[in-house]
Amino acid sequence: MIDIENLRKSFGDVEVLKGIDLTIKEKEVVVIIGPSGSGKSTLLRCMNYLEEPTSGKVSVDGIVLDGEANINKVREEVGMVFQRFNLFPHMTVLDNIMLAPIKVRHITKAEAEDTARKLLARVGLADKADAYPSQLSGGQQQRVAIARALAMKPKVMLFDEPTSALDPEMVGEVLDVMRKLAEEGMTMVIVTHEMGFAREVGDRLLFVDDGRIIEQGDPKEVFEHPQEERTRLFLSKVL
Amino acid sequence: MQFNFDLVVNSFPLLLVGAGVTIKITALSVALGVVIGLFVGIARISRIKILRVLAAIYVDFFRGTPLLVQIFLVYFALPVITGQRVDPFVAAIGSCGINSGAYVAEIFRAGIQSIDKGQMEAGRSLGMTWVQTMRYIIVPQAFKRVIPPLGNEFIALLKDSSLVSVIGFEELTRRGQLIIAKTYGSLEIWISVAVIYLAMTLTISRFVAYLERRYKTDDRH
Repeated sequence: MIDIENLRKSFGDVEVLKGIDLTIKEKEVVVIIGPSGSGKSTLLRCMNYLEEPTSGKVSVDGIVLDGEANINKVREEVGMVFQRFNLFPHMTVLDNIMLAPIKVRHITKAEAEDTARKLLARVGLADKADAYPSQLSGGQQQRVAIARALAMKPKVMLFDEPTSALDPEMVGEVLDVMRKLAEEGMTMVIVTHEMGFAREVGDRLLFVDDGRIIEQGDPKEVFEHPQEERTRLFLSKVL
Repeated sequence: MQFNFDLVVNSFPLLLVGAGVTIKITALSVALGVVIGLFVGIARISRIKILRVLAAIYVDFFRGTPLLVQIFLVYFALPVITGQRVDPFVAAIGSCGINSGAYVAEIFRAGIQSIDKGQMEAGRSLGMTWVQTMRYIIVPQAFKRVIPPLGNEFIALLKDSSLVSVIGFEELTRRGQLIIAKTYGSLEIWISVAVIYLAMTLTISRFVAYLERRYKTDDRH
């Protein structure tokens, strides 16, 4: 589904990604962990070209990300959920979800609304359709953001630390929605600090440090028997 | 010193006609300025370098030279090149609108840049183009934020429109001058003119305050 070959990314003189090779299969749930500044978010953001790779190749569903035309095509198939939600504050929850399907997929308003309401029910917020984002809690906003991404019927969902900006008591409700999504067979790439969730939901765990994939494998294996010293060190701090 | 109230009363209808012209010039110039300002402001932050450069030149030139000189350029200098007389009305609105456009462009640019970067990323990550994201997400939010500075700009423009009196255009200031030429009532007429300007600018600032309340941004995150 996603193919990454020798991906490098520099910001000015700082090389953040130092040659990443990664293949993500359909229906796979890949969890990326690592210390802050390790490049894990940048790696995720390269998958839908929010960051332009300095060199290397990224392709999604067989489409190589290079020209502007390709990028928009790919982004239609790749949903993204941000740490800070990034809902559109001047629109109701319903309009937030309906906008892109209408403007990009060119479906009718009625159809878009139908989909939006179903998605809201799925994330447990059917009664919030007419609310504005500022009237919702962080957890609710993030669930709306997930519904908004799903409304485009993406083939892959990218999650960039989706629970890091949430109060602790709201983390669970967002993880529940993600867990359901994983169970339904969505291909997911998740950057997170929620180790319990990573272990439970992930099909594969990637440990990224200093711009490289240091270690990867079955989450339980990596958590219990890390092969690399750096992984061990990191896990000893966070577990 | 004597203050002739009759002169004020008698001149008032004529001055109000002038005020009507001032409002007309201002309204049309504002409309032109907003349209120019929106496009130039967006061009200022475009990814296309030539657009950025052209927009910057535009802003620098029209902000960096006096409006009075710009009015002379349009009304007196342009005909030398084209060989055609410029209608005073067109010259007035053209120069005021183009001048205002430069200021409005900077207001819009700042407004757009004040919108959280995540909004553009969210729009783009949903597959919308840059233009679509600007149109549906960024500009509507920026608009609310630029209401107060835009209000200031409109008030400034209303007052600056008095400059077009120099090309003989009969707006409020020019009317005042003409009446004084006949009646020598400098004191009465200039005070009347000032009061009428004040009434108009206060109306605008009240209206802007109303808009500000009405569109009270609900964009707390």
